[in-house]
Amino acid sequence: MSIGSPDSTVGVEDHPASAEPARTAATPHGKSPSRIAFDRLRKDRVAVICASIVLFFVLVAIFAPLLSKLEGQDISTFNTQQIDEFGYPTIGITADHWFGIEPKTGRDNFARWVYGARPSLIIAFLATVVGTAIGVVMGLLAGFLGGWVDRIISWLIDFVLSLPFLLFAIALVPIVESLRGGSFNLSPEDQANIRFYVLIFVLAFFGWAGLARIIRGEVLSLREREFVLAAKAIGVPTWQVLFKELLPNLVAPIVISASLAVPAYVTAEAGLSFLGVGLVEPKPSWGQTIAVATNWYKADPLYLWLPVIGITALVLALALLGDAIRDAFDPKTRR
Amino acid sequence: MSETKNDTPRDTLLQVRDLKMHFPIKEAAGLGRTKKVVQAVDGVSFELKAGASLGLVGESGCGKSTTGRMITRLLTPTSGEIVFKGTDIAQLKERELRPFRRQLQIVFQDPYSSLNPRQTVSNIISTPLRVHNLVKKGQELARVQELLERVGLNPEHHNRYPNEFSGGQRQRIGIARALAVEPEVIIADEPVSALDVSIQAQVMNLLEDLRKDLGIAFVFIAHDLGVVRHFCDEVAVMYLGKIVEQGSRDQIYNAPQHPYTQALLSAAPDLGTIRGVPPKERIRLVGDVPSPIDPPSGCRFRTRCWKAEDICATQEPLLEIKPQSTPGHTAACHFAEPKVDLIAETA
Repeated sequence: MSIGSPDSTVGVEDHPASAEPARTAATPHGKSPSRIAFDRLRKDRVAVICASIVLFFVLVAIFAPLLSKLEGQDISTFNTQQIDEFGYPTIGITADHWFGIEPKTGRDNFARWVYGARPSLIIAFLATVVGTAIGVVMGLLAGFLGGWVDRIISWLIDFVLSLPFLLFAIALVPIVESLRGGSFNLSPEDQANIRFYVLIFVLAFFGWAGLARIIRGEVLSLREREFVLAAKAIGVPTWQVLFKELLPNLVAPIVISASLAVPAYVTAEAGLSFLGVGLVEPKPSWGQTIAVATNWYKADPLYLWLPVIGITALVLALALLGDAIRDAFDPKTRR
Repeated sequence: MSETKNDTPRDTLLQVRDLKMHFPIKEAAGLGRTKKVVQAVDGVSFELKAGASLGLVGESGCGKSTTGRMITRLLTPTSGEIVFKGTDIAQLKERELRPFRRQLQIVFQDPYSSLNPRQTVSNIISTPLRVHNLVKKGQELARVQELLERVGLNPEHHNRYPNEFSGGQRQRIGIARALAVEPEVIIADEPVSALDVSIQAQVMNLLEDLRKDLGIAFVFIAHDLGVVRHFCDEVAVMYLGKIVEQGSRDQIYNAPQHPYTQALLSAAPDLGTIRGVPPKERIRLVGDVPSPIDPPSGCRFRTRCWKAEDICATQEPLLEIKPQSTPGHTAACHFAEPKVDLIAETA
């Protein structure tokens, strides 16, 4: 065999790299895989539309005080003079009340709608951030360290995934409230705040396990790759191997999981608020409004449709955006 | 390649003594669990002098890569010694190993999995510089470009990602990463077997240049006798976790003693056939490599050896210098005899 022989060199060049730069001749900088995915995402029309819708809701939530000031109303004023003796609003859509007023209380619908976007988004995003962070760290540790660490974390993942979410969520709220002195002793403000954090906790608690399992699996395959061995041979400390070598390779599953978790959490928050274990008065929230509005649907359909449209549009946009992100990260999809 | 690379006596840099790697495996048997071990490497010894190169040859699963990974301490040996410059590093803890990480580097087989796809080339090569504080801040790039140039890549491509390079170029990046710490020994774990034949020669030439110019000693792991022949001063042939024959390049290639070495050499493709010379009788080995979980008694090669007799099953042959062989040439066989003219003149 002639392979190693120095004088049998086949087409040796001084700069082999410069011999075939054709692929990226125009770009002096290479593109990272994340960058490529982002570029693909920008070309995806559905993704751009959905991202705009999500951005719209984010802006509505951020500028809620400004928007309600623009209308000249706020969320807590009871316009009792515009309510008849049976509780029905006497006015529809007016210049003062852009979306009308609530039955019974007479509070402004528009103000409550724009403020209602806040808890949905904040809870969904915070729960996603917390759940993702826990899931990633747990998955990394379980996959990379292996042994008893893996066994304990894997057991925890199985345990969490086997818990019934709804039952647990419904049960947890009164438990936490009783720990804080019982719901009768709490001011409505305190109660609303506690509910807010309990919701984030419950959603994150149930959200991390699925991601952790995915990350663990990815790490199990990645850690056998030779670049991880090369890092070890160089003497790179374990935490750097985890966060500098492995984590960048996990961007795709993390981003995909997070983008699919956000709409799920928006729905879950609304669902729990509808069931009465989510947010409570005086915090305006769409899920809670839906629960109340079902009683008035025949007389005042707009009251129900406002939060329903809000949630549907937001969740649909987030879910489609999540799908588009997953496609963008998957090199096998062609559009 | 000249026969005498360097006539000055060299110091022993690396000494491996009776290295063993036994991987425990658990098997469910009935109600309980039986513990078995895979004897991946079972008593390997060799020496490497400064600037020299040792070829470690054998078929898949014979433990050659495991040996390489133990020397770089990616694996902790079950027993045995790895003496590097007078220090036994076989059982050192990660923190104590740190200074040795700088001196023992490894180049991997698969250039597609040995580079982190999410890091730029400059990031990949500067990682060892940063970990060992080898250059001042701000001079990293200059050093990276110097290394890229050294391995024959365009230094302006430091900003690119590995996916923009071909297999041979990636392997050069892997070599540059190993060079970054200025090591004294590089374990080359089949560095060219994943490459196209035309690229193999270029990468081999690069390694050869590095050895000559920088005086780096190589442990060259390969399953390809042709590659090893042109690169290594000394060759050790492994079979099922043990070295069966060891000697200088000429001793192994021109007068192989062990039947396994003879079979390996005989299996190498012969260019003469293409030119019309009638092919030589090949030694055909029958059967598979026995399981390293339960290796054969006595000589491990006896199950496939045409010379095997009763003594091979009862008494394990030692790796020793045979009366008929030249000095420094050891073989582990009861019936060792040189067999010449096994390989035709290649190329």
